[in-house]
Amino acid sequence: MKQIIIIKYGELSTKKDNINYFLSILKNNISNNINDIEHVITYDFGRMFIQVREEDIKKVTERLKFIFGIHEIIVGFISNDKELANIKENIIKLIKDKEFKTFKVVTKRSDKSYPMDSMEISKNIGGYILKNINNISVDVHNPELLVNIEIRKNEILYYFNGILGLGGYPVGTLGKGLLMLSGGIDSPVAGYLAIKRGVKLEAIYFESPPHTSEFAKDKVIKLSRILAKYNTTIKLHVINFTHIQEEILKNIPHDYLITIMRRMMYRISAIIAHNNKCNILVNGESIGQVASQTLTSMRVINEVVKMPVIRPVACFDKLEIIDLAKRVGTYEISTLPYEDCCTIFVPSHPVINPSIIKANEYEKLIPYKELIHEAIRGHEVLYIGIEEEKKFDDIL
Amino acid sequence: MIYLDYSATTPVSYEVLDTISKVTKEFIGNANSIHSLGKKSADLLESATKQIADIFGVNASEIVYTSGATEANNMALIGVAMAHHKKGKHIIVSKLEHPSIYAICDYLKSIGFIIDYVNNDQEGLIDFDDLKNKVREDTILVSICAINSETGVRQPLKMIRQIIKKENIATIFHSDMTQAIGKVPVNFHDVDLASMSAHKIFGPKGIGFLYKSSMVKITPLIYGSGKSNELKPGTPPLPLIASLSKAVRLACKDLEKRERFIGLLNNKIVSFIEKYPNIKINKTKYSIPHILNISVMNVMPETLIHALEKYEIYVSTNTACASGEASVSVAAIYNDTKRSKHTIRISLSYITTTEEVNKFLSVFKEVYENLSTVR
Repeated sequence: MKQIIIIKYGELSTKKDNINYFLSILKNNISNNINDIEHVITYDFGRMFIQVREEDIKKVTERLKFIFGIHEIIVGFISNDKELANIKENIIKLIKDKEFKTFKVVTKRSDKSYPMDSMEISKNIGGYILKNINNISVDVHNPELLVNIEIRKNEILYYFNGILGLGGYPVGTLGKGLLMLSGGIDSPVAGYLAIKRGVKLEAIYFESPPHTSEFAKDKVIKLSRILAKYNTTIKLHVINFTHIQEEILKNIPHDYLITIMRRMMYRISAIIAHNNKCNILVNGESIGQVASQTLTSMRVINEVVKMPVIRPVACFDKLEIIDLAKRVGTYEISTLPYEDCCTIFVPSHPVINPSIIKANEYEKLIPYKELIHEAIRGHEVLYIGIEEEKKFDDIL
Repeated sequence: MIYLDYSATTPVSYEVLDTISKVTKEFIGNANSIHSLGKKSADLLESATKQIADIFGVNASEIVYTSGATEANNMALIGVAMAHHKKGKHIIVSKLEHPSIYAICDYLKSIGFIIDYVNNDQEGLIDFDDLKNKVREDTILVSICAINSETGVRQPLKMIRQIIKKENIATIFHSDMTQAIGKVPVNFHDVDLASMSAHKIFGPKGIGFLYKSSMVKITPLIYGSGKSNELKPGTPPLPLIASLSKAVRLACKDLEKRERFIGLLNNKIVSFIEKYPNIKINKTKYSIPHILNISVMNVMPETLIHALEKYEIYVSTNTACASGEASVSVAAIYNDTKRSKHTIRISLSYITTTEEVNKFLSVFKEVYENLSTVR
């Protein structure tokens, strides 16, 4: 018997005409994720099969846990021996160490030339299991152990309960978005949620050296690395925001600092998104959390861009976001104490209800179009993969 | 020179030496500084720690650097005692521990803790029933070494953990793994706290670490500043830490292959020496091959050591930290005072060669037979 990984799709199977599109992307995503491991992937509309060497099974199932579009991950067993007596033996061998009190046998028979039909096989094998394992019973409604047997043309497939995958849509099936990534708790979670719905993310980060440190940038790189686990890689756009920020600080009334700064960030993000074929902006704004996230502020800030801005955590409580951040794996990094450019130069009384007219007026005080072009021209692009580059190989 | 005292300490390997010198020269910044030189050092510190954490399958935040195993043992035992004394004052240790553990226990006893000793059987294995009986509601800590430094007896930590936790889930389990890491596979998840030292695995002296599971709370012994770790504040000794990390990486590869090879050398020595009726071999079925303990009943062990030394062959009486005293571990296993006073420890490593062993045996034959007749 050989081991084989089986993947079930979940929500994907509701797609009708374009299911093939979704599945081919899922296949590619998996294939890219495990490209360092020898593998063969085949699929039909019901599930996907991944064949790898026995010693790689664990490694691969670990990685599949981070791939969206997977409802269930199952390690099954495949055998060429279709002799009923041997099927029974194999089943007992496979389940005798499992802990269960109730079970059910489900048989599928795509090889119609097989002498017994599905019901007969299930009954026969169920009886054999009852005879050979003590203290168990059949439960057809809520079995603890589901014994699946598939009799196919050239082989037999056995599998049992699997582990839940992440669900969602395969990354990339819904096109691309640009995540405004700060380094705080919210934006990585917002990114995760967007990726979950099939959006392939790029990220944009605003740095303000010397007001912000290398440590802060490093933090964002680390956050990107975690998101990359779900997204395959993250293309990170780093914008030097110092000049703009200093101009704003010098020329704009202080209660509008944050409003104008956010508007500049939105404008730059929209241009970067457009240039990189991203259809939406994604950010971690949450209604009411800070002055720039009141509804009026959101409206005044949002007004400068035409593309949709998706705010996946807009209606989450902070505690809900923290909870999710812990599950995603970004919380520990997000809470490292380095300032980013949204937290430096915070006025003591930012405006809570800014007006569009005033914002427009104030912006005329700085040559923002040129400043934006300057920032975009000089922007740095980093490709962040899952694996940390080994910087100190020669030393460690 | 033939060095057969690897369990006392090891020479620093060239690769590790290279790291010490490179990091000393090139990473001058304090890892706690916020400028780019500081960041460069902090990055290396982070990578070095991550490498260790990855090798042992734990989180980087669970590695606390110390000056060595003695400090790690202090941090663990006193740290647990201070943090949990309100829950109880009962501490259990084995009779096969390193002297530093007993020294710490003496101190803890002097301030009101109760120290209990768990028995072991004739093979050196912890007596499970005795352990089970001794773990009480007020037992805050059990400390049992992974490998006894004198006889090489290895304890089944997983099973010991299960026994302890079954009796009292809150009891913390510490293991001194100094003699185990780099010799046999270890699993930090079997314990809550584990001590080790770099100089036993071809790393420099003066650095080691305590593994502290994030689930366990201990009171710091040292107070200061710095962002690296609240249990060990101050400027991290980066050259030592980086070389420790490298030493761990180099020591933990090919463990099984190396153990097999050392096993052959060990057997060779045993089959040569066991023909002498006055030499007893203190080896049980749980001894790892790296440490071979014998009792030379008819010669004073110091005399034999000094005689071998003339030929530039170096072995030891028992653990270097208790030199000159009877072997507590041999006494605990064989219950024979003379036998425990006459011990010689021959410790091997994967860099020991068959040639060295042959030379050692021929010199041993000459020296020992000569000394035997003198008496």
